[in-house]
Amino acid sequence: MIVVLLILHGLLAVALLGAITHQALSVVTTAPANGRWTFIDRFRGVDATAYATPIVVLFAITAIGGALLYPQYRIDVRPALEDTQNSAANGVFEIKEHLVAIGLGLLPVYWLFWRKPRGPETVAARRYLTWLLAFFVWWSFIVGHVLNDIRGLLP
Amino acid sequence: MKDSRLIIFSILFGVFYLVCFYYDLALFRYYPEVRQFHFLRNDGLGVVILWYGWIATSALASAAIAFAVPRNMADRLWPGWAWIIPTAAVVGMLIYERRWFTL
Repeated sequence: MIVVLLILHGLLAVALLGAITHQALSVVTTAPANGRWTFIDRFRGVDATAYATPIVVLFAITAIGGALLYPQYRIDVRPALEDTQNSAANGVFEIKEHLVAIGLGLLPVYWLFWRKPRGPETVAARRYLTWLLAFFVWWSFIVGHVLNDIRGLLP
Repeated sequence: MKDSRLIIFSILFGVFYLVCFYYDLALFRYYPEVRQFHFLRNDGLGVVILWYGWIATSALASAAIAFAVPRNMADRLWPGWAWIIPTAAVVGMLIYERRWFTL
């Protein structure tokens, strides 16, 4: 059961990573060079507003999945990391849980600024909130995978 | 919740979370080895998870203040605070968590 949940959590995280990366790059204010559309331009050229609700839902569901997996990590993985004095691995995971928690708190304002624009003064706030959430998601994704594979990665 | 109250909730959540984890202000504690939730500390029940309790405390405190702030004051809030204050909370957290990476 825990393996199924872990795989599901990973798959949802992939979807979230793709969605938030599309949106985060779409709010970078640069024009295509010479009018030619590169892969990056096409990657950015999405309807960013349409991503807001799926990102909120995916973030919340992925965080809940992580919360359900967390007890197993706390019982099995963390003591093993402490036994091997791998405090950096523990540290990056601690940071991950803080970022996810702060990200959960940001979801209402993030959703509000994307779905109900309140004039030009919210454009910058919306952009920085998106980048902040993108940072949280990338950090969590990389840390989650490294810790999942840590026995194979470390000698 | 009205829009301006949602903004206040999000702004305050990160700050309250920072305070909660720094001072261990968890609304409840979960002991995964015995699969039990407790409001009070129980040292004999094995490892403890405070994270759920920190989130619950932060959510309740942020919601309470978001509702308590007068409407006209909430509506005048500059939107920039919505990302600046959470970013400051993240920076504060990262500074505190440097303890894991010191030799």
